[in-house]
Amino acid sequence: MNPLGSTRLADTANGAWHVTFTHTLHAEWTKLRTAGDTGRLLLLTITLTVAVGCGTAKAVKCPDTGCGQDPVKLALTGITVGQAVIAVLAVLAISNEYGTGMIRTTLTAVPNRLTVLAAKATVLTTVVLASGTAAVLASLLAGRCVLPGNGFTAAHGYAPLTLADGPTLRAAAGSVLYLALIALLALGTATAVRDAASAIATVLGLLYLFPILTQVVNNPHWQHRLQQISPMTAGLAVQATVHLRERPIGPWAGLGVLATWAATALMTGSLLLHARDT
Amino acid sequence: MTTAPTSRPPATRPAERDGFPRTLHAEWTKFRTVRGWVLATAGALLVTIVVGLLGTAAPAPGGRGAHSAAYPKGPGGEAVNDSFYFVHRTLTGDGTLTVALQSLTGTADTDTGTDTDTGTGTGTGRTARSAQPWAKAGIIVKEGLTQGSPYAAVMATGGHGVRMQYNYTHDTAGPLSKAAPEYPRQLRLVRSGDSLTGYTSTDGSHWTKAGHAKLPGLARTVQAGLFATSPEAKQNTATGTGFSPAVATGTFGRPALTGNWSQSAWRGTQVSGDAGTSGSYTNTTKGDFTPTSGGGYTVTGAGDIAPVVGGPVMGAGFTVENFLVGTFAGLIVLAAVSTVFITGEYRHGLLRTTMTATPLRGRVLGAKALVAGGIASVTGLIAAAITLALGEHSTRGRGFRILPVTSATEARVMAGTGLLCAAAAVLALAVGTLLRRSGTAITLVIASIVLPFLLATSGVLPPGVSQWLLRVTPAAGFAVQQTLPQYAQVLSVYEPSTGYYPLAPWAGLAVLGGYAAIAFGLAVVRLRRRDV
Amino acid sequence: MSHESTKATIEVIGLRKRFGPQPALDGMTFTVRPGRVTGFVGPNGAGKSTTMRVILGLDTAEEGKALVGGVPYRTLRRPLRHLGALLDASALQPSRTARHHLLWLAHSQGLPARRVDEVIEQAGLGTAARRRAGGFSLGMRQRLGIAAALLGDPPVVMLDEPFNGLDPDGIVWMRGLLAELARQGRAVLVSSHLMSELEDTADHLVVIGHGRVIADTSVSQLLAEASGGRVTLRTSAPARAAQVLHGAGAITVATGPDTLTITGLPDAETVALLARNGVPFSQVSTHRATLEEAYLELTRDTVQYRGIPAPEATR
Repeated sequence: MNPLGSTRLADTANGAWHVTFTHTLHAEWTKLRTAGDTGRLLLLTITLTVAVGCGTAKAVKCPDTGCGQDPVKLALTGITVGQAVIAVLAVLAISNEYGTGMIRTTLTAVPNRLTVLAAKATVLTTVVLASGTAAVLASLLAGRCVLPGNGFTAAHGYAPLTLADGPTLRAAAGSVLYLALIALLALGTATAVRDAASAIATVLGLLYLFPILTQVVNNPHWQHRLQQISPMTAGLAVQATVHLRERPIGPWAGLGVLATWAATALMTGSLLLHARDT
Repeated sequence: MTTAPTSRPPATRPAERDGFPRTLHAEWTKFRTVRGWVLATAGALLVTIVVGLLGTAAPAPGGRGAHSAAYPKGPGGEAVNDSFYFVHRTLTGDGTLTVALQSLTGTADTDTGTDTDTGTGTGTGRTARSAQPWAKAGIIVKEGLTQGSPYAAVMATGGHGVRMQYNYTHDTAGPLSKAAPEYPRQLRLVRSGDSLTGYTSTDGSHWTKAGHAKLPGLARTVQAGLFATSPEAKQNTATGTGFSPAVATGTFGRPALTGNWSQSAWRGTQVSGDAGTSGSYTNTTKGDFTPTSGGGYTVTGAGDIAPVVGGPVMGAGFTVENFLVGTFAGLIVLAAVSTVFITGEYRHGLLRTTMTATPLRGRVLGAKALVAGGIASVTGLIAAAITLALGEHSTRGRGFRILPVTSATEARVMAGTGLLCAAAAVLALAVGTLLRRSGTAITLVIASIVLPFLLATSGVLPPGVSQWLLRVTPAAGFAVQQTLPQYAQVLSVYEPSTGYYPLAPWAGLAVLGGYAAIAFGLAVVRLRRRDV
Repeated sequence: MSHESTKATIEVIGLRKRFGPQPALDGMTFTVRPGRVTGFVGPNGAGKSTTMRVILGLDTAEEGKALVGGVPYRTLRRPLRHLGALLDASALQPSRTARHHLLWLAHSQGLPARRVDEVIEQAGLGTAARRRAGGFSLGMRQRLGIAAALLGDPPVVMLDEPFNGLDPDGIVWMRGLLAELARQGRAVLVSSHLMSELEDTADHLVVIGHGRVIADTSVSQLLAEASGGRVTLRTSAPARAAQVLHGAGAITVATGPDTLTITGLPDAETVALLARNGVPFSQVSTHRATLEEAYLELTRDTVQYRGIPAPEATR
């Protein structure tokens, strides 16, 4: 990047935005790359996701035909744990700047606040998509190795896990997107509340409280509703490959619910960022 | 300067010993003077109550039992199922009933595609002909026909031999309690004042005592006779546990009576009118009794005479712990506040000021833990007390039943909720000290407390793994909120997914407390060694 | 009012500490005595803050010890009554009010709330004390830090860069305060990386560099040494003057068209010599080095981070 280049290109209105955004993107990428624990957190996400998925796959047995288990969902159980680390990563991407006062430096360098947030979101999404893909593929591979030993065999009606299978591919791609949406939800929330502690508590509360509440609600209709609006339960519906009709919400519709939550959080965050003094 | 520095008391004055209260006072002042923390604590209280009330705010599903206001209560105050077919006459004073039980058979709808989510099926599938393990037929002496009244009974069961049971919770195995008793089997129940003794015999001449019951204050005039009943059939499939309707049929010989019995004929009554929450008649069978050619009777019944337990057999009702579901929300907030209580000092460099004022670092952390834990426990306790009072009132109004608990149990749940919050707060404080970063610390604490619970209760994992999770992770602490009883003589799903923790209440809390204590110890060691 | 001499001291004895391979403290040794303001000066990174943190027991030294009133700080039971310190004025919970910040500190020492109001007055915080400290300017934070340091009425006061962020009024106030604290018999240690700030304040100086003491001396002595007996001469005949003075063994440097700086000859002898030889002169004065010059002279070899001289034209 040549800093002089931007000055010259800034003459044309469209070009100016484009170049500035590219520069901001580059800056945000450098920040995330040099933040110190980004790499460690991403590695932790992958490790936890694969380990929990592997453990679950090892624990669940399928003794005979029609045991009703969903092997793909089992292998991807680790996402429920990995998402917590992704949420931390996303929250810290903005809260750390508020915590250290660096946000002022950032906004001095790039006065358009939405550009900053958009660049952060883009960089974060890219990073999470990459590590999420690694985590999901490794989980599926582990499942493919472990599950047949637990009775998930052709004799019991289970083919080995493969991405060539449509629903499996959907579950895999959906899980990666799920992680990216969790990152955006966390980023939006953290932008809105600024403080890391409050942001983390809000995001984890939002994710984990719905499923717990669902267990208590004694009315099937309400239960159904809760599952449909819960960011985690609805979002993870994309992992389902069997008994699709019995699920409270369809795979892509479920991911759509999470996307709506993420969009709302980002919108709130950007509105507040725009309106607020730093 | 207002005081001459030389007049300062020397450093070794006896009053110097009260160092810890001073540090505690300072930390308390620190906490209460940050408005955000005070508001967050109030928020934790509020969110515990609101989430708890929202979680139990759904209207009654209108299913079985929705119209009855409360579970029948046994003499011990516990919720009971008291549903059986009773062939009875009135007995005044002492007396004996002897009868031969020629067979105990059962009918159950199986393979009805039921699972734990929907409770019971419609009974459209195959029918199996064998008595359920806890199907019962025998002799019962009961104070009256109302549910929950005191009783004692000697009986044969489908799978657990001859038993003597009384007052719902008491169950004694009789002699030769083999899984498959030989028939005919002689049963005898002797009433003498408030003392009842059951006997069994295989030949009618050699009697063995099956058990003894003392029913203090038993009325002089009681209902006594023959009964049969069967809880629902429990089926374990790979997808889960299902329950389906089942009935039991006992074929009795001619009853032999001594004592002052009413002269009227034997009358048949379905006690409770239906089969209760744990029993259900099949589509084709109703409770009934018919005389046999040899002067005996065939009695068919469904239901159970037993305490209500959790799981699908509980029916539509709430337990005390259901109202406390908001504890999770409150805990998240309290953990966040407790973490920031220390990480905020790191972030602002304030810890150096704190350590300058109180160089004993263990003392500072101890005072902080006491303040954070104390505030959390009071918050948890108050929230639990308010939620229980409000929740029980509002759900009763909407036709839900609430599993009754003794006031000691309720006190344990409330105090336990407070201590649960305190332990989580201390854990959060310690992890915050170790990691020094609020974001990662809070995530670690919340994830370690809430995630294992979520994984264990979601039903994804097999029960063994779920129970293991709730034994060794900080989520074990929620056991302190469990009020659901477990009885060997009642079949249900005693698993985390139905609210059963593998550890006893205080043992579970001790696991979380252990985590908090270890983390606190490590934090003190680290804080002492580290430059701040 | 005077403090017992043993109570009102800081003794730093042979401190050594390294951060990684870089020695931060390398045998630091000095004593702060009561009744005077001791300036603690050195370039950035010389080890001032580390020394102060070790004195306060915040950091541990690998070798050596630091004693406050004869004992290690961490053994003090009500430490703020022995030593009041200002390390980092912005070390505050931003949402707490200034008064509440002082209140918890007071509680930790068993001091009454009345004492808090006294130091608020003394530090000139006034009504600002009931505002959130997060909104304070740097100058107000410094005042709050001073208030905290004075809370326990300690015989030893240690301030790290107290002049930072103060406006001219504040600087005058701070100088007055330091002088007053010393007059009351307290030991006052004030660090600074700007010698000029201490010029009119400090009685004694501890100059450090590379983690050890370069000079431990009184201000007047340091100045005398730095001045090095130089004499400035103003004359209409510099060439003749130089010739005469060289004859007496002095070294002269022409520092202007009519000025000479003379080394190696006291001013009185210079005057006598010039008068004897009939050299006209308008002024003879002893050259007085500024503290800044003396300091630069001392620390010339120890400056760790030196700015690269700016090029002639930057744009």
